[in-house]
Amino acid sequence: MNEDRPIMPKAQIYYGECVYYLTIVACLVCIVGPLIAMIDPENNVMNPYFTFAAIFQGHSADEVWTLVAGGFPGGHFWYGNFFTGDGFTQFGLALGCSSAAYALIVAAVVYALERIYLYTFFSLFVAAMIFFAASGVVSF
Amino acid sequence: MRRMLKSPWPEAIIMILVTLLTYVSLATIGVVVKAPEGGMATGTVVGWIFGFFLLSLIIAFLAVLGGIGGGVMFTPVMLAFTPVDSLIIRGTGLIVAMFSGLISTGPFMRSGLSNLRVSVFLACSFAIGAFTGAQGAILVAGHMGDTGEGLVRLSLGIILFCLALYFIFGGKKIEWPQVQKSDKLTELLQLRQPFYEPSLARTVDYGLRRAAWGFLAIAGVGLLSGFFGLGAGWAIVPAQNLVMGIPLKVAAANSGVLLGMGDCIAVWPYIMIGAIIPIFAAPWLVGQVIGGLLGAVLLIRVKAGFVRYLLIGFMLFSCWGLVTRGFSKLELIQPVPHWLTGIVFLVIFTWVIHRVLKMVREKE
Repeated sequence: MNEDRPIMPKAQIYYGECVYYLTIVACLVCIVGPLIAMIDPENNVMNPYFTFAAIFQGHSADEVWTLVAGGFPGGHFWYGNFFTGDGFTQFGLALGCSSAAYALIVAAVVYALERIYLYTFFSLFVAAMIFFAASGVVSF
Repeated sequence: MRRMLKSPWPEAIIMILVTLLTYVSLATIGVVVKAPEGGMATGTVVGWIFGFFLLSLIIAFLAVLGGIGGGVMFTPVMLAFTPVDSLIIRGTGLIVAMFSGLISTGPFMRSGLSNLRVSVFLACSFAIGAFTGAQGAILVAGHMGDTGEGLVRLSLGIILFCLALYFIFGGKKIEWPQVQKSDKLTELLQLRQPFYEPSLARTVDYGLRRAAWGFLAIAGVGLLSGFFGLGAGWAIVPAQNLVMGIPLKVAAANSGVLLGMGDCIAVWPYIMIGAIIPIFAAPWLVGQVIGGLLGAVLLIRVKAGFVRYLLIGFMLFSCWGLVTRGFSKLELIQPVPHWLTGIVFLVIFTWVIHRVLKMVREKE
């Protein structure tokens, strides 16, 4: 029966595995992150006790950050706050939200090695779009 | 025992153990630690984190089975039943939609149920649409009223209703579309990829058509996904199935991969303005990953007919939400009470269950 099954292209397998394991790492970080925030709420970008209260009072995102953290420190605030609950969780979110970009680079390399240049281009285009969005260069 | 050493079991067991340890620790904190003055009670904070995780787990399971993003369930429920700001909900909705897709990507790619070439090709247009949509949502939230949103939701609801009708009356040729003739561009893109279908116990080599129209349709879907933070599996699946002639089950798997890829772009404008709050979004993410992982393993074994009826149910219910909210935003009707939405949900899914049971009986 297995002999009849078609072999999947390498780029497809590598893409799937990269996304899969990066997502799992991101998930593990996001499981532990809120626990760190609850263990030491004072050493956190946003105190979770006040964060939830502000969110459920219906404040806008901007207002929540201003009320609890004195203002939004930027999308990549995890750089300087890696060992705080929020910073660590934000790192997990950032890793998960860019996992497809890293996997697409791997897929593009495999496509290039197999001389399938059209899909090398498509993969790099989507990866570049993710990095472009993550850079925050364009915002209204 | 040997089976438990193969993916996805080792990683699933690790995640479940870490989750259990974390929630036991959180529960202990909830009992022992007192909340600071003016803050929410410790037990309530822990309860919300755990409740979000549990709800997300259920949504993820249903979402992967239906081949749609969980965001389409998360966003309307949160908007309807909580006072949380709509931009925070829409940003978190994208997290919900994309992570169920991201975690199901691995199993779908391994089994060949999903097609990377189709996904990457369509992601090029989805990327542009989703990024523009997300920026548009931020712009609208800051500058415009409810009228524009109302009109978009209303027209989207009508389109979705037409698609649901086509799915109901279209019959079996939609589950396995027969593509007699392809076009030059589709042939040039070399999108075909045979896969082994366990429910048929044979290899399926499906044809494709109208790649250019599929590309355009997905750009529009991306725009809506980024704008509403809904995920868009409910539109990606029919766009692939009806326009490009991709079998329904493959389209559902591709939709998960495409959502994972495309919403990686749509989500960043929300992150960069602080609409995704880490401690609020994290439990939703975790529930999606664990639920999505188990759901993807199941979907590979589920026959296409069941997925079809589940999708029709979700499409009809989304349609109800979009049309009523559209009219409400335009101030043509009063906001629809939750009990009425609940009744509509019950009616639609009673019909879905009836159809599935009927299908099972016919096959027996």
